[in-house]
Amino acid sequence: MSGYIPISNFQLALSVILVLLTGLISVFLRLDLLKPLLWGTVRAFIQLTLIGYVLTYIFQVNRLWIIIPIILLMSFIASREATRRVRQVPFNPVWASFLSITASTFVVGSIVVVVIISPQPWYSAQVMIPIFGMILGNSMNAIALSLDRMYSEIHAHVDEVEQLLCFGASPWEAVVRYVQKAVSAGMMPTINSLMVVGLVSLPGMMTGQILAGMSPQLAVRYQFVVMIMVAASVAMGCLLIVTLSYKRMFTADEALVESLRKN
Amino acid sequence: MRGLRTILLEFQQLSRQFEQGKSICVSGQLIDGTILAIRGVSGSGKSTLLKILARLLRPDSGEVFFMGKNWLTFPPQEWRTRVHYVAQKPVLFEGSVADNLCLPFSLKTIQQERSFNIEEANQFLERVLLPLSILSQPAQTLSGGEAARVSLVRALLLEPQVLLLDEPTAYLDSDSSKALMGLLCDWLREDSRGIIIVSHDPDDLEALPLQVHWLDLESELRHS
Repeated sequence: MSGYIPISNFQLALSVILVLLTGLISVFLRLDLLKPLLWGTVRAFIQLTLIGYVLTYIFQVNRLWIIIPIILLMSFIASREATRRVRQVPFNPVWASFLSITASTFVVGSIVVVVIISPQPWYSAQVMIPIFGMILGNSMNAIALSLDRMYSEIHAHVDEVEQLLCFGASPWEAVVRYVQKAVSAGMMPTINSLMVVGLVSLPGMMTGQILAGMSPQLAVRYQFVVMIMVAASVAMGCLLIVTLSYKRMFTADEALVESLRKN
Repeated sequence: MRGLRTILLEFQQLSRQFEQGKSICVSGQLIDGTILAIRGVSGSGKSTLLKILARLLRPDSGEVFFMGKNWLTFPPQEWRTRVHYVAQKPVLFEGSVADNLCLPFSLKTIQQERSFNIEEANQFLERVLLPLSILSQPAQTLSGGEAARVSLVRALLLEPQVLLLDEPTAYLDSDSSKALMGLLCDWLREDSRGIIIVSHDPDDLEALPLQVHWLDLESELRHS
């Protein structure tokens, strides 16, 4: 196979039939999924179409002063999404999340783009935006998992944390075992995907490149780099978010904040 | 025999609002070598007062002095090792009983000051009628009474100066209860030690060969 196979408007419309079929099944089973499914399909179509035009423009202009604000905006949206569904948090974690996501994404993404891929110019939008986007997507999920796990662990172990404080433990010593679990929880999906990649599934990026006509050997190389950078940024992001957040669970007197306590 | 008895811990106008509009405002003194017993109906703030004194809860107002020094001059970690709180429901961690007794000594603050003394641990365990074989038993398999005694032994090994005990005999049978109170009496004979205890059993405390002062929280309870 050489080159990519284009998808016509008719073929695009055909794919919607699959969503309608799923929707009909949900109506039959009274799952109430038809509306969110249709809304999700419409949103995905509009968002992807718009981003297609936006990316075409940005790739043409290819200026660093446009690329950096866009990546920062993507980081902020990812931070909000990462913290939106996290419950039991005694403070607003959006800024800690933004700092963790942005720092880990920029450190790892810059190394991958500038040192490993080395496009011309070094800030090529066509390379930077998809690479940073992939890192952001994975960091967002990992940070959401880590934060959620950390606070639910502390909530479930208030007595143990307070007991450790009574022994004379520092706040870090009192929560470190729960922080470790939180970091593991955030990293687990990434580690699992490293274990099964190529055996159970072909990752989306590699599949896309093969469909676009790239040789599988070359696509594999890109995919390997991407997976390693995702693992590195996820680890960095999870460590940063728990380090930035754990102290906010304690008062100036090194006691658990009231909202985390049971009584 | 001790000479002049000094005030070990003093709290003045310590107040805090807690559940459903209730609040307490209490003052009291713990004299060296004595017990300050707190009584009151359920929900009168007895445990809340102990947690405030352990600096796990912040009071709305009031001050506490330890041997004449304001409590805020002590770093929280140092305070909690000097004024040590033992919860009513014993908190034991994963691992054996020995692991649980050693756990505090793995913390930085404690490591700097003292190390785990197995002989002392054995003595305390025997005093509270626990066999030494319990050391290798997984902590999660202990009964409530065993766990409560292990928890108290662990607290004594930390060598605090003030013990804040929330109904330490709640899970114990009569013999174990007497043995535990006997150990506490002996522990109090050392200089600069005192106990603040929440108890529902005045007879048990009055029978001790020690001076026991009472603080009735029911009379200090306010409803808004």
